[in-house]
Amino acid sequence: MENTNIVRDAIYRATMLLDGQKWDQWLDLCDDDFKYEIKSWSPEINYDMTYLQLDRKGLASLVKLLPMHNTDHSPLTRHTTVYSVDVAEDGKTAKAVSSVVVYQTMLDGINSHIDSGESRLFLVGKYIDTMSIEDGKARFLNREVRLENRRLDKGSHWPI
Amino acid sequence: MNGSRYLSSERSSFIPQDTTGDAVTRAIVMQTVAGGQQQEDLVAAKNHAQWVANPPLPPNEWVDSKIYSDEGIFNEELEKIFKKVWIPVCHESELPNAYDFRTTTIAREPIVIVRGADNQIRAFLNVCPHRGMIVERRPAGSFLDGQPSGNPKRMTCMFHGWQYDMKGNCVFISREKEGYQDRLCKDDIGLRRLRCEVKFGGFVWVTLEDNPSVSLEDWAASAFSCLRKTLDAEPLEVFHYHKAIVNTNYKLWHDTNCEFYHDFMHYHNRVTGFNDAYFARKNEAFEHGHIIVGTFEVNYDKYEGFESRAELSFPHLPPNQWYMIDLFPGMNFNLRGSALRCDIVTPLGPNKVMIEFRGLGLKRDTPEERMTRINHHNSIWGPFGRNLHEDLIGVQGQGTTMLPGSEDRHILLGRHENQTIHDENGMRHYYSEWAKWMNRQASDPSKPYERPAAAAAE
Ligand code: FES
Ligand SMILES: [Fe+2]
Repeated sequence: MENTNIVRDAIYRATMLLDGQKWDQWLDLCDDDFKYEIKSWSPEINYDMTYLQLDRKGLASLVKLLPMHNTDHSPLTRHTTVYSVDVAEDGKTAKAVSSVVVYQTMLDGINSHIDSGESRLFLVGKYIDTMSIEDGKARFLNREVRLENRRLDKGSHWPI
Repeated sequence: MNGSRYLSSERSSFIPQDTTGDAVTRAIVMQTVAGGQQQEDLVAAKNHAQWVANPPLPPNEWVDSKIYSDEGIFNEELEKIFKKVWIPVCHESELPNAYDFRTTTIAREPIVIVRGADNQIRAFLNVCPHRGMIVERRPAGSFLDGQPSGNPKRMTCMFHGWQYDMKGNCVFISREKEGYQDRLCKDDIGLRRLRCEVKFGGFVWVTLEDNPSVSLEDWAASAFSCLRKTLDAEPLEVFHYHKAIVNTNYKLWHDTNCEFYHDFMHYHNRVTGFNDAYFARKNEAFEHGHIIVGTFEVNYDKYEGFESRAELSFPHLPPNQWYMIDLFPGMNFNLRGSALRCDIVTPLGPNKVMIEFRGLGLKRDTPEERMTRINHHNSIWGPFGRNLHEDLIGVQGQGTTMLPGSEDRHILLGRHENQTIHDENGMRHYYSEWAKWMNRQASDPSKPYERPAAAAAE
């Protein structure tokens, strides 16, 4: 496969694994030095905010401890479209920008009798990914989830 | 979605593994678990008459859920409380330069906060006296730039181009003479100015009341006394902002900030907190309905992936302290060692509240220090943090059972534990203040306020 397609394929696979809450398999697509951030620009406070920043080890702890927490289990569905893939000249790394829209299908977050089964718009943003390419495989070195949202209501315990 | 994932065997480790050596923790957690089982065996569920009957507690130890769900009471709260008290609306670091502004709302009244050329921060109703347009529509920005229908250094109402200076004076009326001749001039017009002060760590406080019953200093100084030296030691800066709009009453959010009994809901707080020092933390009540929850040393490293915050403690504080200041009628200042959080509620309806969350560090932070503070703040309190999500699910769940029109019921505030952390004296103190402002009893809002008998006083 051509390098751009390898990168694209990894981003779409990551989307499916995240939607499926297969956190460990998602982390398998990530480099040992993987860095993950959720960021958003706030015109309210004129500040480029970081909502979450974790390395791979931190993410592994976070997903491991999820069962200990009380959580809104309404599943999230990410709609990702890869907009651009720029492969470095040496063909070893690439930068990719994708649009991502996250829907939440209500389960237990409010009053399940009324809301469960209803899909709502939850997040709007971009994935800004840096990938390594080796032996025909792309791995995530860095993912910045750049959200437009500053109204986040209950928020989420899950990586986006 | 795999539901069974959340029923894994790890769930059974309800008793925090790392604190089971601690006798107090074990005793309390075991009691709770055993108590739960006992209740199932011994105590019958209630029929309707039993369910609505008063609990065997004095009336200052419960409230009627009508105070969370009634539209009339809600409107009265805006008039009698929110239009009268001091509200922290933003932080001075959000308007660092002359001509910077920020907009907000108190009790449905839009407000604009501006920093003048003289560096003074002032507040005005964000309402044009001509035909009622909102003067500034943006959340924040600078008046240094001109606007499509106005000049630089002016607040311009886009509708018909009237302009105001940073002191709220009207300085331009389009075709003034042609339309008003000598009947009305700029001096007859002006923005409505509001009392505004910068205090207690650089927060900007506003009141809609021209003659507040107490000065801002007298309103909050006693509650802030535990942290005043810390917050006023050097300039602070906001690094985090997000908002939640939740279908629940604003007081239920404030209650959650006032009671720590709900730490049973937070795995993080159980493992990092439950020890002798935690259970000795005192709830302290102050004049005007404010409370604080005293500090202790948190063991952050008991939660996998977390670290001690000792390196970046706020000025004049021992490491890893945790102070909580809850101000009537719904503002919260929460300092966990290295990061300060401030919640401001804007009630939108009996069953709807906007909560604005801010995180603050020291203005002089290096980029590395700032990043560490941000991570400390967000790991627990961010929109993707461990505790905030749980707190918001909790109050949303209460809102779900207390919709306008749903049956009134008792909400208990009756725990007595020598005014320590799981005592509910903080909420009782709040509702006795609420009763005064509203001239209603929280346990029966149809009855007027009665000064509590000395014995029942907290
Ligand atoms: S409404 Fe503001 S200028 Fe007319
Ligand atoms: Fe909480």
